[in-house]
Amino acid sequence: MSYRLLLTLAIWLVLGLMPLALGSWELAMFGQLLVYGIAAASLAFIWGEVGLVCFGQALFFGTGAYVMALTSKGMIPGIPDSAWLGLVLGIIGGALAAAILGGLLFFGVGLRSAYFGIVTIAAAVIGERLATNWRYIGGFNGLLDVPPLPLPGGTDSADPLMGYLLVLSFAFLSWLLLLALQRAPFGTVLRGIRCDERRMLSLGFSVPVYKLVALAVSGGVAGLAGALFAIQFSFVSPAVIGLALSTEILIWAAVGGKAVLMAAFIGALGVKWVEGALSESIGAYWLLVIGLAFVAVIVIFPHGLLGRLLDTGLPKRLRRP
Amino acid sequence: MFLTVRELKKSFGGIHALQGVSFKLDAAEIKCIIGPNGCGKSTLFNILTGVLAPDSGTAHLDGTQISGLPAHRVSRLGIGRKFQVPGVLSDLTVMEHMEIALAARDTDGLLLRTLGWRGGRAAILKQLETAGLTDYAGQIASQLPHGIKQRLEILMLVARGARLLLLDEPTAGMTAAETQATIDLIRRINKETGMAILVIEHDMAFVRNLSCPLIVMMRGQVIREGSYDEVRADPQVRAAYLGDHHA
Repeated sequence: MSYRLLLTLAIWLVLGLMPLALGSWELAMFGQLLVYGIAAASLAFIWGEVGLVCFGQALFFGTGAYVMALTSKGMIPGIPDSAWLGLVLGIIGGALAAAILGGLLFFGVGLRSAYFGIVTIAAAVIGERLATNWRYIGGFNGLLDVPPLPLPGGTDSADPLMGYLLVLSFAFLSWLLLLALQRAPFGTVLRGIRCDERRMLSLGFSVPVYKLVALAVSGGVAGLAGALFAIQFSFVSPAVIGLALSTEILIWAAVGGKAVLMAAFIGALGVKWVEGALSESIGAYWLLVIGLAFVAVIVIFPHGLLGRLLDTGLPKRLRRP
Repeated sequence: MFLTVRELKKSFGGIHALQGVSFKLDAAEIKCIIGPNGCGKSTLFNILTGVLAPDSGTAHLDGTQISGLPAHRVSRLGIGRKFQVPGVLSDLTVMEHMEIALAARDTDGLLLRTLGWRGGRAAILKQLETAGLTDYAGQIASQLPHGIKQRLEILMLVARGARLLLLDEPTAGMTAAETQATIDLIRRINKETGMAILVIEHDMAFVRNLSCPLIVMMRGQVIREGSYDEVRADPQVRAAYLGDHHA
């Protein structure tokens, strides 16, 4: 095992030991950051592997959040009001939203690079408008009183410790899934597609299908993050589906390291934490400072602040003899 | 007949890129298509590899129609294409390239089969060893010497299991020594794997040294077929293409 993989595992261990160091209120706050971390890692997967700069990540995140809220509040006709079912449907909802967007973009006209980004911006704006104007799902005010997730042993996710451990477990599982895909031959094919789609086609790979599935996996993980967001904050609003959050997710991944799952994950935690600290100390100027810092990081560290440090490298089968 | 091309036609707006191209290629045969820029060579290759669909006419590989199929399906039927820009997947290592080629061979590029495909270090290393590329195994492709990139690209197509190799100006931008090495490589692949090879080229030194049957194209048509000497002696070809400075 490489020392970098050990470093990544050590980070998970530290996250797992956080409840020993933090009080319940801080723990609940910290747990909220993990949700953003999952969203950032989901973007890093398609950005780093397939080279898709996606501004639609909040669309998938928001779909997961709304589906979770609607299901657990029993607002979808014919579907029982179960929070766990809501979580599952939230994942499926995020994946489906991504699959539909990807299907339109990859099969219809075969949009690439910047054009893909631009269309996903439009999709995010449309999603936000839709959520704002659709009265049944709460319109501008969103949906309040999303119930917590019941957990075995009679507790639920509203309990700070249980809530934290729940989100942490899902963060770990998401990371494991995305990492396994990255390190499998499937991941090698995705990286090949990032380098040269035409060449991969001429080797026999149905490139649009691969991109679609990669985007759907990313959307499913973002949907999971959204569903967890809904139960943590017990409300959803159009802000979780819009362009502003999409851009934030992009910034987290870029600052941490767009090609490395753990780097993007920590990027979200770090940027959110700094944001909080700055807004307390310098008030409204925090946005300015964050913006300048973002530009500086992109220019000076193209791999992100942690991209090189946390890169787990190639799997053993692909290491040089 | 292994590859049969019949009356292929293709127009772009008012430009008739191909005006009824027909020719044949035997199994394990090497042929070279020559012709000036704009004669329709690239359009022909794009049709044979599924990048473009013809307006009319057909192309069959071993009895199966390939014209009109999308690129990934043509590839699955056994046509490998080497692109004109010498190239590889620039960010990936040589071993990653071989994994992609072997995955394509074993799964036909189908997603579900790729997800279940385990890959194999031993198979990758064996391919590299046979091709003499073991020393480069861990290197990033963009940092390889030009000639090695070329060999890696062709090795991928061989490993992927192509039966017909289409080489689009394989010696573009090469030195004389590199050109000769490429000719040796093409001959060796043809001999060792029995792959049929169709080359597009307009470097006459290359064409002479490869010494294979030629197909001369001009304004979207085949104007002559024959050996280098026969083609060179043809007055129509001399006037149309070779010109005085080549004669």
